[in-house]
Amino acid sequence: MMRRACQGIVFGAVFTALIAGCSAISQSPSVPPRHPEELAGWTQVDCRECHSDISTGALKPYASFRHSTAFVRHHGLYARQGQNLCQSCHGPSFCQGCHARKEELKPDTRMGDRPDLALPHRGDYIVQHQLDGRMDPGSCFRCHGNKNDARCRACHR
Amino acid sequence: MGLSRSRNCPGKRTTLCCAAALLLLAALFPSELRAADITLSSKTYLLYYKRDLPGSSTQQFAPLYEYLSADAGQLGGTPFSFHFYGWGRQDLQDATGSGKTSGELGSAYLQYLHPTGNGEMRLGRFFLTEGAAFEIMDGIFLKARTPVGLGLSVFGGVPAEATITSTKTGDSIYGGRVFFAKPGFTELGVSYLIEKGKFQGEDRKEIGGDLWLRPFGPVELIGRATYNDATRALAYQRYLLRLAPASGVDLSVGYEAYKYKDYFQTTLNPAFQFPTIDNTDRVRTVFAVLDWEVVKSVTATLGAKSIKHDTAAVGDATRGELGVKYVYNNNRDAAGVSAATVSADKDRNAYQEYRGYATYSPAKWRFALDALTQQYKQAISGVKNAYHVVGSAGYRLFEVLRLSGDLTYTKSPQFDKDYAGLVRASLFFGSGTGGKK
Repeated sequence: MMRRACQGIVFGAVFTALIAGCSAISQSPSVPPRHPEELAGWTQVDCRECHSDISTGALKPYASFRHSTAFVRHHGLYARQGQNLCQSCHGPSFCQGCHARKEELKPDTRMGDRPDLALPHRGDYIVQHQLDGRMDPGSCFRCHGNKNDARCRACHR
Repeated sequence: MGLSRSRNCPGKRTTLCCAAALLLLAALFPSELRAADITLSSKTYLLYYKRDLPGSSTQQFAPLYEYLSADAGQLGGTPFSFHFYGWGRQDLQDATGSGKTSGELGSAYLQYLHPTGNGEMRLGRFFLTEGAAFEIMDGIFLKARTPVGLGLSVFGGVPAEATITSTKTGDSIYGGRVFFAKPGFTELGVSYLIEKGKFQGEDRKEIGGDLWLRPFGPVELIGRATYNDATRALAYQRYLLRLAPASGVDLSVGYEAYKYKDYFQTTLNPAFQFPTIDNTDRVRTVFAVLDWEVVKSVTATLGAKSIKHDTAAVGDATRGELGVKYVYNNNRDAAGVSAATVSADKDRNAYQEYRGYATYSPAKWRFALDALTQQYKQAISGVKNAYHVVGSAGYRLFEVLRLSGDLTYTKSPQFDKDYAGLVRASLFFGSGTGGKK
């Protein structure tokens, strides 16, 4: 463990220098670590209210990140090409509220005051998952395939 | 509530990880550990519910949860930041899991974001989505993009997932992604991931491909595919075509396919193994969603999804859904109704679902009501209907402190009648500007 940690730190230091070297040449600014202005409201996010151009960090139009139903359902496709733009508004607690490794409280229980959010597993999902899981087990697998499965194992032994 | 497990010292590893990150932080900023941009959030939940179990006396549960998150940016005026997220539980009455306490360190990492070129480093425990990787890991992640658009990311460490860390051997994960990005036009990536472990006799070895393409105007294609190098087959693929022909319209159609034996080869969860599922099966899904802002603040959503199985045992199904959402009170409140119907080859998979919700936030108050019902075509445990209603009321005591409470009623094939209460205290302190974090 210690040997691996040391290797990681050395490797990290070398690569950080490399990153700085490569990126310093580039003129395109990175995504700011935090959105520079306060965002009004919280029920609907549409970057297009202020941005009409391309994000210099994500290198995609801000319009792509409008939080429409399609975006919310398929945000993982975007996130797998980079998390920086997400991180300027959402901290780890936001993502890991659902994408956890050992979560006990369902997101809709924690956020019972936010019915406007598209949270997974609303209602009595112990019952409902029998239908959803039979039809499309891949939708369960992404989060429960080899993590966050304590509740699964209570019945699936 | 969920079960807690304590196997093979994830706690020790977590402590080591935290200690390493904090020591590094202290070493980097010895005497002036100051942050220009700090946010701190504490959310405390106290639940109360009862369970009448067959052949047992009534059990009463009152788990107390504390969720803590902190983000400290621009440490010492540099592009370094530190992020923390974790939670803990203490049961005040009967045990909700295998013990009366539980908890998790979700994230604790030091991050460096280079001001240009999106150079990035993360060190510690973090949630990573990068190509084939979708992990919570203890380790390091590095990413850089050159001026011509070619980029590279690498990561390595130990997976933090509870199940995987329970295996006695094989506990490392590493990989990387090579990508090319042309601003506003395309991003293409190829990634590789290896995780040592006993995944049905094999290590986890995945080759990933990802694509984002905007060939013209408001047309966008995004997708990803995973090749399982252990079973030597294409395991998973998903593609989405998005069109925005007008400013208030977002239309998307997509396709998803996966083979059980290849996609689920990496599982350690019996729910994804034979005999629970027939691992010769394959799923192919076609889906579409239309978001249409009919008038300002009113959005209609129309969706459809067709799921087809290669084997006849499960049968195919089609879901259709329709919803309307109204946003008001300067985007602070919303109300919506939706209906969905699932028709299926097998009656046991068919149901209808209806939902309605509304929030109202006058001054320092906030009220919310949410009602959901499912009507099953074939009864489950002799019951054909499920109902779930949540009412919530909250008050902002101070600028940084908000108190609220929820009352939940459930009637379903699992519960004859269930009431649950929740009290929530949310504390938020932020010294910088920006998004909600």
